[in-house]
Amino acid sequence: MKPVDRRLLRYAGAARAFFAVGAVLALGQVACIVAFAWLVNSVVVRAIGGAGLGELLPSLAALAGVVLARSALAWLTEVNAARGAAIVKSQLRREVLAALPWLGPSWLATRNSVAITTVITSGLDALDTYFAKYLPQLILTVVVMPVLVVVLFLADWQSGLTVLLTLPLIPVFMVLIGRATEKAQADQWQQLSRLATGFLDVVEGLSTLKVFGREKRQAARIRSVTDEYRSTTMKVLRLSFLSGFALELAASLSVALVAVSIGLRLVDGSLALGVGLFVLMLAPEAFLPLRQVGAQFHAAADGVAATDDVFEILDAVPSAGPAAPAVAAESAAGPAAGVTVVLDAVTVRHGDDVAVDAFCGVFPGGALTVVSGPSGAGKSSLVAAMLGFVPFSGAITTSSRNAAGVTAPGGAEVAAGAAKVATGASGLATGPTGASGAATAVATGAERRLSLDDIAWAGQRPGLLAATIADNITLGTAAPAPALVERAMRLAAADDLDPATLLGVNGWGLSGGQAQRVAVARAFYRALERHCPVVVLDEPSSALDAATEGRLIAGLRELAAAGTTVVVVSHRPAVVAAAGHRVTLARPLSSASQPAAAAEPAAAGDQAAVTRGSVAAREPVATREPAATREPVVPREPAATREPVAPREPVTTAEPVAADREAVR
Amino acid sequence: MQTAEVLRLAQPRWKSFAPGLLFGVLRAAAAVGLLATSAWLITRAADEPPILFLSAAIVGVRAAALGRASFRYLERLASHDAAFRGLADLRVGIYERLVPLAPDGLRGTRRADLLARLVGDVDELQNLPLRVVQPLLVSLVVCVAAVVGTCILLPAAGIALAVTLTLAFALGTLVNLRLAGRAEADLSPLRADVADRALDVVANLDVLVAYGAVDARLAGLREADARLTDAALGKASGAGAVAAVVSLLAGAATLIALLVGVPALGVPPTGAAAVAAAAAGAGSGTLAGGITGPVLAMLALVPIAVFEVFGMVPLAVGAWRQVRVSAARVADAVPAVAPPEIPVDGTTGAQPWGTPHLGAPLVELRNVSVRWPGAAAPAIEGVSLSIRPGDRVLVTGASGAGKTTLAHALVRFLEVDGGYTINGIDVRTLPQADVRSIVGLCEQQPYLFDENLRQNLLFADDTATDDDLLDVLDRVGLLDWALERGGLSAPLGEHGALVSGGQAQRIALARVLLADFAVVVFDEPTANVDPERADLLLAELLAAAGPERSVVLISHAAVQPALVTQTLRLP
Repeated sequence: MKPVDRRLLRYAGAARAFFAVGAVLALGQVACIVAFAWLVNSVVVRAIGGAGLGELLPSLAALAGVVLARSALAWLTEVNAARGAAIVKSQLRREVLAALPWLGPSWLATRNSVAITTVITSGLDALDTYFAKYLPQLILTVVVMPVLVVVLFLADWQSGLTVLLTLPLIPVFMVLIGRATEKAQADQWQQLSRLATGFLDVVEGLSTLKVFGREKRQAARIRSVTDEYRSTTMKVLRLSFLSGFALELAASLSVALVAVSIGLRLVDGSLALGVGLFVLMLAPEAFLPLRQVGAQFHAAADGVAATDDVFEILDAVPSAGPAAPAVAAESAAGPAAGVTVVLDAVTVRHGDDVAVDAFCGVFPGGALTVVSGPSGAGKSSLVAAMLGFVPFSGAITTSSRNAAGVTAPGGAEVAAGAAKVATGASGLATGPTGASGAATAVATGAERRLSLDDIAWAGQRPGLLAATIADNITLGTAAPAPALVERAMRLAAADDLDPATLLGVNGWGLSGGQAQRVAVARAFYRALERHCPVVVLDEPSSALDAATEGRLIAGLRELAAAGTTVVVVSHRPAVVAAAGHRVTLARPLSSASQPAAAAEPAAAGDQAAVTRGSVAAREPVATREPAATREPVVPREPAATREPVAPREPVTTAEPVAADREAVR
Repeated sequence: MQTAEVLRLAQPRWKSFAPGLLFGVLRAAAAVGLLATSAWLITRAADEPPILFLSAAIVGVRAAALGRASFRYLERLASHDAAFRGLADLRVGIYERLVPLAPDGLRGTRRADLLARLVGDVDELQNLPLRVVQPLLVSLVVCVAAVVGTCILLPAAGIALAVTLTLAFALGTLVNLRLAGRAEADLSPLRADVADRALDVVANLDVLVAYGAVDARLAGLREADARLTDAALGKASGAGAVAAVVSLLAGAATLIALLVGVPALGVPPTGAAAVAAAAAGAGSGTLAGGITGPVLAMLALVPIAVFEVFGMVPLAVGAWRQVRVSAARVADAVPAVAPPEIPVDGTTGAQPWGTPHLGAPLVELRNVSVRWPGAAAPAIEGVSLSIRPGDRVLVTGASGAGKTTLAHALVRFLEVDGGYTINGIDVRTLPQADVRSIVGLCEQQPYLFDENLRQNLLFADDTATDDDLLDVLDRVGLLDWALERGGLSAPLGEHGALVSGGQAQRIALARVLLADFAVVVFDEPTANVDPERADLLLAELLAAAGPERSVVLISHAAVQPALVTQTLRLP
């Protein structure tokens, strides 16, 4: 672990101010330490020499002044730390948030959004103690130690030399012992991490244990696992505490050496008492900041871990990224009807896996197109490519002619070129800027590149925000139109909901089916209000019952009949049956390693199992009730995504870390 | 549970706690002693006495130096060992309280990550002896000892030290806690606001980009962040106040020691009389005319060392704030009294096994209502169901209709209101374990322990041989998969990370078959399985259950009619 990450200074300018002020305060503190030692020493020496209280009063008054100044400096140091922490946290938070649009949804899709939120909220709070406890001591160590060593040399070079020789021993010993501990810890690591989670494993599996009547025996197991954990950890600790031992021993032995040597030299009269006492008071002070830094090791580790997570995100942003994720020009007057979307050899790769392999297809204008195919066929990847959320090769263009499958060669070429430009910038330029820029470049012809402005989209996840339903539906529009909201909700079969309902984070307060319909209504509203020629919905009815689904399908048809290109990804039979145009995706053959190949043998095995046990098949009971009349709501718990944001670390690592934290203390 | 009860559990027994405490006191005493004897040695040496008079002090200085480091090392080892021993008792103590309540009687632990947090909180409690009680007691003992020692040398200086230390203790603990608590109360709503908004943006970035609404949302977030930062800056000046006053008190202790010590200083002795007087003074610390010079030096320097020992107190208070929060959460999650919705064991000793009462079904529910602890209304009401051997009962209904509630009632995780009999015997008269030896549950997310495949199967029937296990794996269609993985010793990973959702269900089924329940409840067995393969898996699960066993199948999705013999639809 580095004492301070350089990136902290680079990304958080406020940290520089903190260090500068901290260094000045540390200089003040070292002056106070020296003055305090000198004044106490001189008062004691002069009193012993026979000076009365009256004579000493000026020195005592000066001492009081030093005590006050020291106290004020302690206060300012803490204020500086608290301010520094608050400002740096805010700076880092803002930078991460500003970076998110650059990184884009496809980057986020590979990460846990809760984890990222934790990083920039409660995760950053680890910086509070980092700034309050660790960094000031670090500054003090850097500033105070050299100054005090020099002062010691000036006062009594022999004591200065003693301290100077012992100080470097500390880091040397700590490194040596640290190495040994690391090895011991690595040897035990697997056992330690298993033992650390042993209790959690039992508690989490408690209901399973109860089902099988095994809950009573587990108390003994918990005890033995914890005891084993204790003895294993203590083995490591015996070693790792040695580094703290070396630090303390070096510090106190050097004080003892100084004291005894001064005492002996005082006896033979080669040193004055005034110098001796002064040196004795300063010697421990030279070691104190270093000891404190060691004691704050865990604050340091937490702080570094917190900033590491932040810098990982910030470092992911390429420095030569586009200037700003400008909102593309309004296309309110865009073509209202009959825009055909043409996909030409669209290939999407996720790392080495091919999600969509050279897909060619046409989504005709004014029709309901249903895209289906087995899972893993790349349906959602195709949608992400249309939105520009993932880099792809090939071309996705719109054509206002009814050119079913026929594209003018010139147009295709230009469009493909545009796509290449877009994918060149490591996926970033496929965002709004790149897309709209390319669109204007190509828009001279009848074909132009499909832009995010052309699309009204609702994804598999409803993605509702903490706002009213109406605010969610009119997202991204400056002046909401209540009449359109009502119409969009009716088309999306969401007119049973009150638009004024206030939702919580992640759309908390709605059932899965309700949230899905609001998300669809939001797409419809955008299509209606901004005359988006293309509506893309990914599994819009997966959480809906048959009746509601039917109403939604009617809405989709109404929209298509008005000239909108409606593209729906769905595996639901009712939706597929309603399609005016069907597109079926197959699993890409080239991704041989993954699902397609693996699925076949597995399915065959499953088949075999059925035939083996098929005795159990029974005839249906006549009185079976009709199909569901209510929405089978997909279970969703908004708390699930909220809760972890609040408190602390994953338990799994809690204990080894706790042991580790002690290492340097 | 009460928070105090949790804290009592967390504090290790005196027998294991005492050695660490003793070493801690010795360590802190050695630190104070090092400075005190050094000061005495140097000041005394200035009188140029024969070296003989100093040898005791020289030995003392060296011993204190070695002692400070060695006792610190021993203290840490002993206190950690005690904390870990305490942790074993604490974990078992909490576990034993969890057992009768789990899974449904634990408040706010219905989700796995919250359960993980509960466990994390329990483990956090080991900091109570280690970072709270031990440092507080050590500094208290050493501070009192230092005050007593100073009083013997010069009562006025002792009183001054006592007053400054008492003030510092009050400030460092009570005031510190209050200030921190108030700052927390003011900042936490603002912090929550930022967290909510941040999650909104991060989780929905795709939507925000697609709708061109990123900038507006980020602007709102920046405003919330500015509010939080402003409030935090406002609190910054309060943050250092306690530290500043404690530093002031430490300085004041030295200053007062000098103010009362200098006038008490006796006439400086000279010549041979001085040697004799000093030898006597070394023992008592006082001369006829007052204190000696070396004692004055000690009086001036001891407060510095004592206040360094006191430095542990604010850190302990910080640790206490965390421990208290954890203890409160543990106490909150584990109700002191089991709620009435959680069943208790019956004690009649009736035998539910064997031949049923004439004509009685294997399992019968008559007009049953079930309520979750703390819920105002029952989750299911008026449910009647009759299960005979070999039945396949489909339970269907919307989410929230009470399907899982019914499953939990069947295995006695939840108490029923109404009639529930097994072979004609009222389940309330039976021990829960007896009911669960007949009615088994395959949970929605089967829990796989972080062990190998064998261990995950064996706990369903620990008399089973490896051949039995392989046989049952064959019946659930996992034999080839298991052999490919390296047989029964194949690890399953934490939370079954190394197996797919379908495989997890099959392993769970294998366990159920091994335990040989007469009735098995499957709670949404296909919830974590690819929809295309759900039907197949379902058919296989039912087939593997065999013709004799009764199955209650809970599913929100449609099930092929051929697979079931009756359907219960929850409204």
